[in-house]
Amino acid sequence: MKLVWLMATIAMGLIGPPAFAAPSPWDQPAADLAEQIAGILGPGQARLVIRNLSTLPTDEISTIRGLLEQNLKAHGVLASGAESANTIRVTLSENLRERLWVAEIVEGAETRVVMVHVEPGTVQPAQPASGLTLRKQAVLTTGDRILAALETPDGLVAVEPEEIVIYGPTPGGLRERKRFGIGQKRALARDPRGIIVSSPDGSAFEANVPGMACSGVYTRVQPTGEWTVRCSESDDPWPILQGPILEGPTLQSGAASSSISIKAFYNAARDYFTGVVTPSVDVDLPPFYSAALLPRSDGAGLLIDGIDGKVQIAESGALKPVAGTRDWGSDFAAIDTSCAGSEIVASGSGEAISDSLRAYELPRQEAVPASAPLAMGGTVMALWPAPDGKSIFAVVENALNQFEVDRVSAHCN
Amino acid sequence: MLARIAISCLLLSLALPVSARTRPHYGGTLRVEIDGEPWPQVGAKSGGLARRLVFDGLTRMDADGALQPALALRWASENNDHRWQFWLRPGVHFHDGSVLTASIVEAALTGSCGAACPWTDVHAVGTTLVFTSDSPMPNLPALLAGDDFLIGIAAPVSSDPNSITGPSIGTGPFQAAGLSNGILTLVANGACWQGRPFFDKIEIHGYVPVRDQWLDLSVGRADLVEVPPEQLRQAQQQRLAVISSRPAQLLALAVADSGALGNPNLRAAIALAVDRGALSNVIFQKQGEITASLLPSELTGYAFLFSTDRDLNKAHELRGGLAPPPLTLTAEGGAAMQLAAQRIVLNLREAGFNVQVAGNSAPQHADLALVRLSLRSNQPQAALESLLRGVGVANPVLESTPAGLYKLEREFLDTHTLIPLLYLPRAWAVSSRVRDLRLSSDGVPLLDGASLEAAP
Repeated sequence: MKLVWLMATIAMGLIGPPAFAAPSPWDQPAADLAEQIAGILGPGQARLVIRNLSTLPTDEISTIRGLLEQNLKAHGVLASGAESANTIRVTLSENLRERLWVAEIVEGAETRVVMVHVEPGTVQPAQPASGLTLRKQAVLTTGDRILAALETPDGLVAVEPEEIVIYGPTPGGLRERKRFGIGQKRALARDPRGIIVSSPDGSAFEANVPGMACSGVYTRVQPTGEWTVRCSESDDPWPILQGPILEGPTLQSGAASSSISIKAFYNAARDYFTGVVTPSVDVDLPPFYSAALLPRSDGAGLLIDGIDGKVQIAESGALKPVAGTRDWGSDFAAIDTSCAGSEIVASGSGEAISDSLRAYELPRQEAVPASAPLAMGGTVMALWPAPDGKSIFAVVENALNQFEVDRVSAHCN
Repeated sequence: MLARIAISCLLLSLALPVSARTRPHYGGTLRVEIDGEPWPQVGAKSGGLARRLVFDGLTRMDADGALQPALALRWASENNDHRWQFWLRPGVHFHDGSVLTASIVEAALTGSCGAACPWTDVHAVGTTLVFTSDSPMPNLPALLAGDDFLIGIAAPVSSDPNSITGPSIGTGPFQAAGLSNGILTLVANGACWQGRPFFDKIEIHGYVPVRDQWLDLSVGRADLVEVPPEQLRQAQQQRLAVISSRPAQLLALAVADSGALGNPNLRAAIALAVDRGALSNVIFQKQGEITASLLPSELTGYAFLFSTDRDLNKAHELRGGLAPPPLTLTAEGGAAMQLAAQRIVLNLREAGFNVQVAGNSAPQHADLALVRLSLRSNQPQAALESLLRGVGVANPVLESTPAGLYKLEREFLDTHTLIPLLYLPRAWAVSSRVRDLRLSSDGVPLLDGASLEAAP
């Protein structure tokens, strides 16, 4: 009796997969393909040939062969006879979107084809290197182009080329609540930019797009509150930097303060800042795309990215070139970290069209990488610091032409 | 497959300077030189560059071949794809300041294809376009991204000899400013709905031989010049900065199914007699991908099912001793195409066919025609319908599964009225002052997103 039971157990093990085996991603496609093959071939013997034209690792092939043989056997097709007149030629192929398993069933002079498609597997992202680690968190994803955004206690305000959009929280994430037309009369630029800054108490904002300025005021009305937004034509300078960044003397002697606001005039026809800023920084600045304030040993420095691609720092009444910035893109922002003080997070190009962000220290006139690059999954379109300076925000256009607002924070390892 | 794509990307990254994304500069004049017509007639197969800068369609293909909205903001189908409605983007103006309306789009589309349109009827309804057809049109949004369906209006009749005849006013990022001595001048459309482009002006110099183009590039008289596939290696040896597309142009032999080649066995014999390997290795310097399928493997994964092997014995067997009258073969395009045609003539003579190259004239009356077909969509169903329409097969492709598409391809190719030969890339050499240049999915430079480096 024991012998019969033992033989039955062995036979079960040979015929079917182990009852408690972990499911393989190939189980279903192998079963589907075997069913289609058997539907054509019927019960009998056939020679099974497998070739791999895909990126599947070679060690997966034996697993797939085993699954196909098992499933064929379940349909009465014995894939073993090397001398069989019938051949099943299985090709493991793929296209840009999915894997494709194709079986050519050769019976004499006739060849018939069946195929199944297999969903692509997911690729685990590489872990960042040690040191400061940048992490991103998607705040909002939308099909509309976002130029800048501001997190508010009651959601998020997004600046689009022609509208200010109010988003409110819902259990499923941020949802659009209201749109305000900016009244833009100019033709849009190909590479439009915008900016939005909060009042200290978060109850108001100022936003700029080329040729227009908007102000928003929040009124607390139960249950959600309400924004009032007004826009008008304006060539006034944009508030590019503000916040409690500085320690010690400020850029402009005699104007010591625990916080600072720098405004810069914007060339709306060419999409850059002209180099004229207010208050003055005691040095003539060239036209630039981005600026960030950094604490320096003798006060503060204004880091700018010139339209000629040169990164320079205005400090102590002089403009000095910064080395180590060759890989930087045009966008950067300062971030406060608990372990390393103020750092610069700059965009750079990653593989293909996927940009990355990376933190840098600027001990002198040289940028030194302080973190591994953080892949952003698309093109970084804009970058700015959060009001508290402890994180930054990025707008990323992904491969699906969607715009994602990401919060990027720096964590000390 | 993926490895090959990765290698293509690598080639591109090696060819162009790698730099982080910096914001582009506005201004400057880009000088482009091409061998062909700078402003070809509507329907010409090599006219993508200038026309795509001047005109927009209801939809467009992005650089990856994905469908995107253009003059239409959105679209929806009803009645099992027999009826489509496209909602026009509001506030779009033509270069002359006139407003884009659904009626204008209706007139332009009706004039673009006449009786060969993919739809039975199109009419304007308010600010929308409604297309209807007796057959389902599952691929209509993708088909409308084609060059045949760009929306333009004609300029007023002018006595200026430099004015352009036919529709020349569009809604695109550049407006046609004149055509003189083979030089097409395009100026930036500051009011473009997509935003002002970065170049102030583009000059497209036509009828410039490739050798002269390279010379002009080397001395700074040109910024963007052509690199035919067969000269890609030479361009790299000369250290030109080359940007190359994926293999996106199908080189194929169109075979008449009437007259001397009305017998399907003769057409099958021709298909077996062509030596694709020689065409790829000798004529196109190994820059083409040999194919016997319409769609490339990267779209379908099943291209290997179509044999690319030459079999002269079987070709003779299929010909069965028949001696068809002398056949004519035409080839569109430049020197490499003519050489390829000569090579095919030799191949066919070995199989017992008497073929002569008939130059570029009257391809519609030739027995055989060497043609190039562009592949733009990354969706196999739409790509297949577009390719088939390119050779005059107007039936909609209703299949979407790999098995269904394979069956359709197999049935069509078994008629041997079109014999796929090679997939070829399109390549360009670029001056160092051009930045952010990408190619469309069929290898046409996307100049509206490119810019010039600022002068040092």
